[in-house]
Amino acid sequence: MTKYLVRRLAGAVPLVLGIATVVFFVVTLAPGDPASLVLNPGMTPEVADQMRANYGLDQPVHVRYVKWMGAALTGNFGTSHTYRRPVLDVLLTFLPNTLLLSGCALVLAFMFGIFLGTVQAVRQYSLVDRGVSVLTLFFYSMPSFWLGLMLILVFSFFARNVWHWPIWFPASGMTSVDYEFLSTGAKVVDRLKHLVLPTVSLALVMTAGIARYMRGSMLEVIQQDFVRTARAKGLPERTVVFKHALRNALIPVITLLGLYLPVLFSGTVFIEYVFAWPGLGKTLVDAISLRDYPLVMAGSFFFAVMVVMGNLLADVLYAVVDPRIRHE
Amino acid sequence: MMILHDRRRAGLGAVVLLAATACGGGDPGSSPLEGFCAAVAPRVDAYLERALSESPVPDDERYGGTVVVATISEIAGGMNAFVSADYAATQHHQFVNLMTLLNYDEDLSPHPYLAESWDVSEDGTEITFHLRRDVYWHDGEPTDAHDVAFTYVRLTDPRTAYPNAGFWGQYVQGEDGVEVVDDFTIKVRLQPHAEFLDPWRAVGIMPEHLLGDVPPEELAGHPFGTECPVGNGPFVFRDHQPNERWVFAANPAFPEALGGRPYVDRYVYRVIPEQTTLLTELLTEGIDLYVGLQPDQVQQVVDAPNLYFVHFPSRNYIYVGWNARRPQLSDRRVRRALTLAVNRAEIVEALVQGYGTVANSSVPPFHWAYDESLGDAVPFDREAARALLDDAGWTDRDGDGVRENADGLRLAISIKYNQGNQIRQDIAEIMQAQLGEVGVEVRPQAIEWGTLVGQITDPVERDFDGFVMAWAAEFRVDDAGLFHSDRIDEPYAWAGTQNPEIDRLLDEIAITVDRDEARPLIEEYQGLLADEQPYTFFYYADLTEGVNVRLRDVHMDVRGEWVSVGRWWIDPASR
Repeated sequence: MTKYLVRRLAGAVPLVLGIATVVFFVVTLAPGDPASLVLNPGMTPEVADQMRANYGLDQPVHVRYVKWMGAALTGNFGTSHTYRRPVLDVLLTFLPNTLLLSGCALVLAFMFGIFLGTVQAVRQYSLVDRGVSVLTLFFYSMPSFWLGLMLILVFSFFARNVWHWPIWFPASGMTSVDYEFLSTGAKVVDRLKHLVLPTVSLALVMTAGIARYMRGSMLEVIQQDFVRTARAKGLPERTVVFKHALRNALIPVITLLGLYLPVLFSGTVFIEYVFAWPGLGKTLVDAISLRDYPLVMAGSFFFAVMVVMGNLLADVLYAVVDPRIRHE
Repeated sequence: MMILHDRRRAGLGAVVLLAATACGGGDPGSSPLEGFCAAVAPRVDAYLERALSESPVPDDERYGGTVVVATISEIAGGMNAFVSADYAATQHHQFVNLMTLLNYDEDLSPHPYLAESWDVSEDGTEITFHLRRDVYWHDGEPTDAHDVAFTYVRLTDPRTAYPNAGFWGQYVQGEDGVEVVDDFTIKVRLQPHAEFLDPWRAVGIMPEHLLGDVPPEELAGHPFGTECPVGNGPFVFRDHQPNERWVFAANPAFPEALGGRPYVDRYVYRVIPEQTTLLTELLTEGIDLYVGLQPDQVQQVVDAPNLYFVHFPSRNYIYVGWNARRPQLSDRRVRRALTLAVNRAEIVEALVQGYGTVANSSVPPFHWAYDESLGDAVPFDREAARALLDDAGWTDRDGDGVRENADGLRLAISIKYNQGNQIRQDIAEIMQAQLGEVGVEVRPQAIEWGTLVGQITDPVERDFDGFVMAWAAEFRVDDAGLFHSDRIDEPYAWAGTQNPEIDRLLDEIAITVDRDEARPLIEEYQGLLADEQPYTFFYYADLTEGVNVRLRDVHMDVRGEWVSVGRWWIDPASR
């Protein structure tokens, strides 16, 4: 196992470096740079050149590439133009916000997805199965930002202004503007309230996908001989489904987890826009349009690592749940 | 009563709503009471309005509360006047966190601010500013002449790379142009130049005692402006969460003579990138003021009983810039025809619901030298457009509906706009339809913002025919960077204008100090622009804002949205 891990990690190194190289050249060769983005008729070409020099952009691309790569390999990703702080610092400012949002969504999505898929498979072709199928298909095919806007409309605007519900949810932000004056209990409630709508809009789409996978996988397993054997020896249906069938049906879903892990960090971009959530995804997309090269580079480096790690984790989890793979 | 009180600023929408609730229950249309109530309700409302204005909330009850302002973007560069000439940032430098030497009053004449008075030498090349002695940095240090000198020296230092350095370049008189006479008196020597007081209301003074030791080239990357700004203005910086919010507290020691402590206790600037979310936050009272309300959202604000809508003229004009280097666009008759063939008044009506004024030049309608008669210079006239194009040698030779010149070159152009900007996309598409009517083929093209800027500013490539963009006009007329042929290789001379008459006027206007002498020159300049058509000037967009009824005395004008932020107050009943 250790040997396998080392082999996989070693293979990942050139991959990550390759991605970083490609991103570097794509980003730097795109038209426009931080100086051209200032757009001020009072800015003379000399000032623009000075600005480029202050940002270190006056050197040829290959020199900048070597410098960047050299620094990055020693853990120094440079300073962000727009945030005026070390890039790692910027990433670490926004990472927790994104992790909170997508972590909650991921947990919710897997809990409900696995549960719904299992129920559907066990009660195949029942009314429940058909109903849930329609619903999951509905949400699966819906863009998450649109879903987010609809949730805002219903649970923020209509709930508060039209229906006067006792509970409604704020449309944006992570905390209220008077957060710092709240008691500890009220702070927790405030955060939870702000978390609900973005988490739900992110989780709904994922839940739908996971439920579809789970249903298919469970149906396959439930028809196998060992399930029939379990039933035949008189085990209660609950034990058959949750202990024998579910474990086996989970294997393909675990691959999904690996695929969703990078989404934890990046897939929230639209949700972050809609809910004004100060997360990593939006920060990096903005960094691209602001030509904040050091931030874009560090961000893509980080994502490349995440994708590789996600896949690796999925493979390892495979081995954990499936002894056959472990023995090979 | 409290509800009525709350709604009094909501205008007509509220009146209608109150009338409806007062007489609700009956079958509308058939009840005779309906008409009766409809007649009575406005009278009650008018009485209330009058009574409230006659017994307004007394001054000392206006203090308190948190005002939350939200808009789609961050304050780029933060509270660092050396870094940012960005609009939202300069607004906060001028009116919120920092102070300028002077500011403009409503009719745009200079007014004392940090400088309580100034003397100008007879030839207009030497200004002596006498500073107030009661202004303190928010760490307790007094603001004095050394800060002003420091700010001036750094701004004009090329190593600082201040984005608007060209603006100062026209005034600066060598390195020893500034002299600290005593702690509160400073003398500046300038080149003779029009509107020489203008720069001093534009740029916030920065603290020398904190930034004096920072090398100029490191000022742009310094965390001061975004992490720990120390200003001297009416609001003290408290907190900044990037991409999320800025929090400022009222400065209790702000000089009484300049308005004193702001009414609100706290001023919060929130970043909400999605406009639908912004509107929802305004409707659900999460924010008090939505800066930059979209024209198609105005009706919802007007209809909401808890909100009111305000709009003010602004300095921002939308235009389509033409690339005169292209053979299709090199003839000014063609460019003029392109403008003639577009119904700009209708576009203002349709696109921004009339919240805008048709533009004819870069001199805004509020400017003292604005030429009113210019409105008819380039009307909507398809026939005239066709005739001009015929004249210029562009006729439909092969009968495909698109004009060609004698060499067989088709009059086909692309109009670029930045992806995601709906209004600019609409403009490009409307031009496609309307120019199609006169035999010009237009292809609208969406481009990522940074790429578009790169394409149009690159002095060698200039990879565009036309593009939709906006400028914020300055208070003084100076378009040399845009239209002067000496500067044709600079980034913003994208139109590629080469007109000796325009060059001459730009040179003269820049150094004509006396307004009466400058007026005829500026009027002539506007006429030349209408003739040259380097841009198709579309319209000056109004500032459109949605405001919660609890927030009062929100006054804005061409000076900007934040001009009166210290005088905003929150209804004591709904704090």
